[in-house]
Amino acid sequence: MLHIKPILVALKRHKAGTILIAMQIALTLAIVCNALFIIDQRLDRIARPTGLDESNLVIIRNRWVGVTDEATGPLIHGDVQALRQLPGVQDAISINSYPLAGGGWSTGVRVNVDDKKSKAHTTLYFSDEHMLPTMGARLIAGRNFTPDEVTDAKANAVDTPAVIIITKALAHDLFPDGSALGKSVYVSDTKKPSTIVGIVERMQVPWNSSWADAWAENAVFQPYVLMYSGNVLLIRTKPGQQDAVMKSAPEMLFKLNRMRVFPKENGVRTFANQRESIYKRDRGMAILMGVVCLVLLGITAAGIVGLTSFWVGQRRKQIGVRRALGATKRDILSYFLTENLLIGTVGVLIGALMAIGMNLWLVTQFEMARLSLAYVAIGVVALLLLGQGAVLAPAMRASRVQPVEATRSV
Amino acid sequence: MFAYYLQLGLRSLRKNPLLTVLMVMAIGCGVAASMTTYSVFRATSNNPIPNKSSQLYVPQIDNWGPEEAAENKGEPPSSLSYTDAINLMRDKRAKRQTALYPVALSIVPDDMNMLPFRENSYAVYADAFPMFDVPFLFGGGWTASEDNAHAAVAVIGRELNDKLFHGANSVGREINLNGRTYRITGVMDTWNPEPMFYDPVNTNAFADPTEVFIPYTRAIELEMPTFGNNNCNKDPGNGWDSWVHSECVWTGFWVELPTKADADAYRRYLDGYVAEQQRSGRFKWPKNNRLRNVTEWLDFQKVVPQEAKVSLLVSMGFLLICLVNTVGLLLAKFMRRAPEIGVRRALGASRKEIYTQFLIEAGAVGLAGGVVGLLLTGVGVIGVSLVFDPQIARLAELDTSLVALTLLVAVLATVLAAFYPTWRAAQVQPAWQLKSN
Amino acid sequence: MLKMTHLSKVYRTEVVETYALRDFNINVNEGEFVAVTGPSGSGKTTFLTIAGLLETFTGGQYHLDGVEVSNLNDNERSRIRNEKIGFIFQAFNLIPDLNVFDNVEVPLRYRGMKAPERKQRIMDALERVGLASRAKHYPAELSGGQQQRVAIARALAGSPRLLLADEPTGNLDTQMARGVMELLEEIHREGATIVMVTHDPELAARAQRNVHIIDGQVVDLAEDPRFHHAVHAARANSPA
Repeated sequence: MLHIKPILVALKRHKAGTILIAMQIALTLAIVCNALFIIDQRLDRIARPTGLDESNLVIIRNRWVGVTDEATGPLIHGDVQALRQLPGVQDAISINSYPLAGGGWSTGVRVNVDDKKSKAHTTLYFSDEHMLPTMGARLIAGRNFTPDEVTDAKANAVDTPAVIIITKALAHDLFPDGSALGKSVYVSDTKKPSTIVGIVERMQVPWNSSWADAWAENAVFQPYVLMYSGNVLLIRTKPGQQDAVMKSAPEMLFKLNRMRVFPKENGVRTFANQRESIYKRDRGMAILMGVVCLVLLGITAAGIVGLTSFWVGQRRKQIGVRRALGATKRDILSYFLTENLLIGTVGVLIGALMAIGMNLWLVTQFEMARLSLAYVAIGVVALLLLGQGAVLAPAMRASRVQPVEATRSV
Repeated sequence: MFAYYLQLGLRSLRKNPLLTVLMVMAIGCGVAASMTTYSVFRATSNNPIPNKSSQLYVPQIDNWGPEEAAENKGEPPSSLSYTDAINLMRDKRAKRQTALYPVALSIVPDDMNMLPFRENSYAVYADAFPMFDVPFLFGGGWTASEDNAHAAVAVIGRELNDKLFHGANSVGREINLNGRTYRITGVMDTWNPEPMFYDPVNTNAFADPTEVFIPYTRAIELEMPTFGNNNCNKDPGNGWDSWVHSECVWTGFWVELPTKADADAYRRYLDGYVAEQQRSGRFKWPKNNRLRNVTEWLDFQKVVPQEAKVSLLVSMGFLLICLVNTVGLLLAKFMRRAPEIGVRRALGASRKEIYTQFLIEAGAVGLAGGVVGLLLTGVGVIGVSLVFDPQIARLAELDTSLVALTLLVAVLATVLAAFYPTWRAAQVQPAWQLKSN
Repeated sequence: MLKMTHLSKVYRTEVVETYALRDFNINVNEGEFVAVTGPSGSGKTTFLTIAGLLETFTGGQYHLDGVEVSNLNDNERSRIRNEKIGFIFQAFNLIPDLNVFDNVEVPLRYRGMKAPERKQRIMDALERVGLASRAKHYPAELSGGQQQRVAIARALAGSPRLLLADEPTGNLDTQMARGVMELLEEIHREGATIVMVTHDPELAARAQRNVHIIDGQVVDLAEDPRFHHAVHAARANSPA
């Protein structure tokens, strides 16, 4: 049973407090909605699969010292052969980049040799026939490279290979009808066609930034071992051997040739470490927004408790009179709950508009998506419940006011 | 009177400890959130070279054409092609100028037991050192004639000098970089402008300090590729020569133009340069140049991380909510004392005196909020490393100015929030008490 | 000391205008002890709040200590209240958060007095009402009579020219009321001007002069036989 009219009349006499609570609820809703949205976006980003088999994967960033690019060929082959023989190592490759590396190669792919514009954007991964097994990529159609298809290539003179393997996402972009396998495409500016011999289920690009979001799973694998003084050694270890290989591999490599540098901080790390450091900002942002949301809701709840307590204190006599005139405890309780619901409703209505407005503005300022209305709905329900919860304690206190208080002077 | 009001305020605050704690915590949290995020924002939006930020400029030349520019909001590429960089260097139309690019240099210690190691390294022209106000501990930069001679010379950082030469004056001594020897002409004192304005394109502008500089001409002669981004609109073809003479953009360029007239003159020069390229048939499109100074350049390169801006905004909103909350609670607190105000007014307190009394009480709340905020900001500044890269996180610090700002913001914000409740309190009629009985 | 001529006070609401005082004339001389009587709602409290500059009036003139007060701003009115007027309220109106000493100190603070002088005056005033030993007590720890004596001390501490008392014994039992009344008489004998509102004829009889208010106007008792008898009877019965 709601007595809305008398409540409205009473609220008119507490305009300032009413407006303050409504405003606080509105602002809180606007910020909480957007914060929740940011959290979810970031978590989604973190949850994106790389296509790698991420466990038991060790990354070594190698840089040769005092060697020209051309001269690195034998050194790289020596490294890879030695690594594959190292105890605890299942497979190893030298590659130009890998998902979440942060930097790599990107180019366009054309379907017809005369196309002016490329049909899709993609990243390029270069390595030998061990590339797919070492990365843990799942071939869903066609075949892997054969050893005789693999050649060495100079970093500043990469030719177009006769055969390539691409990801399912890229295959779909190039040939939406699903007929990619066996077709020829033109990678970059070349006039030489490359035949698609295999399709991999998924492999992410090296970048985590939003500029690559539209083609995050477009990759071309090329059967080249790149002769380059800054290469990456990707090592798949046997299960449980990751830590041992992290120690033994660099030692062995230095024994092989000491004229090389592994960067101080991230020269040798597991893929798990790499993932953590790449997504640090996203995870941190999610945590920060989560903390802000919680504290904000707490403060808003506390504010409601504070102001409602004040109102109850102010109206003790009035409550006493009502009680004396026959109002039950339930009536008093429901009076305050309804009052809060009314204020809360006004607050969340304004807040919902503010949340959407704030998001629209953020979209223009930052690389952000449009707010889904589901977040607004969740926020509205959460804040209404929060308000009811916060008002409960002071309302209970009000309901315990004895009718005799009507007779007391202030 | 101030002491009296303060004493009254404290007494009143002690009377409702819960309400007081609530307000103090709300203000503390709000202020701490704002100040923590502000500390990051301040660090990332810092002017790294205040004396010269309006004298150093980056020229941009559109050598790709409008189609490519359209994909980048009509902006020309952020780096120059080698062709343009060399032409600009040759024309020498600024007071000072340097092309620059990051190179992958590893230091090979003489001691065979020590492993080679990498330091951030750049290839620059001799002008770079006076242009960027690089401080020197020993010696100085190399000379223009050494630029022309492609000399094997180097400037190293203080930290590297400590590591290799134990801090001794190493000018004239040799250093092995990538297996070749270079003569050291100078040792820089600690120099780490943050953001690293001279190359935000290839870093996130917050990197470890550069420890080695070598002549640009030398790096090109040795065919050192860029260690940063290389962007090509067309396949450059095979080999070093075709790459270096391609339209691939990868080199940075800075000019020093001390006056506005110099800058205008340089703009005209750039226009003329582009016109020349159009005549020669290299550029088949209208000119699209830029000349940005340090501040504009950092802004254009979006050096302040998006996270820093979003979190600053969110925490400002947070502070606003905390203040709305404080307005409500102060209103409740002050109006609960309406009887007391009535009596005080009857006993001769003017409105002004009521204002003063309650604003001082609010100020005390604000100050307490500020102290709590300070503690939480301290925690927050440590927690910054959760969200930001270590290179940025280490810049956020709780220095004296931040401490002062935290307290100031807390007190000011609270007093501001107290205006309405105080105004209401001062409206309490002195007669009210008499009548209601 | 206090002179109101043709004074009126109108309370306006959206629907009605109510005259609380109309064509109100009164003159209280320096050193007088005047009791203002009248039935509930007659306007006697309105008169007191206007007299004490707690409220403004609608028309007419009011001279307080020779000063026309209608044009004074809030600041000046506060100053006059603080320096010239002492209030004694029916409900005492002590500030519960402050102890006795601090309560008496309130008006002195607003006068900007130096600490030693404040202390001297407070202790003198408390001495005067016989509560010097209770300086550190809080109002809640005192009886009603003691509270009213603190209120009187607070009114006296600033040595006002005019004391305004609103039913000063209204909340007290007979015994305590007598004590408070005797205190007021004593203060009067020492030269203070006192205006006291009361509906108690016995108390009114102890004043030098009675002013009766009905429907917002002063009624001359001497010319109204209905009251003549009652007042004299009360005066005859009073113990003093």
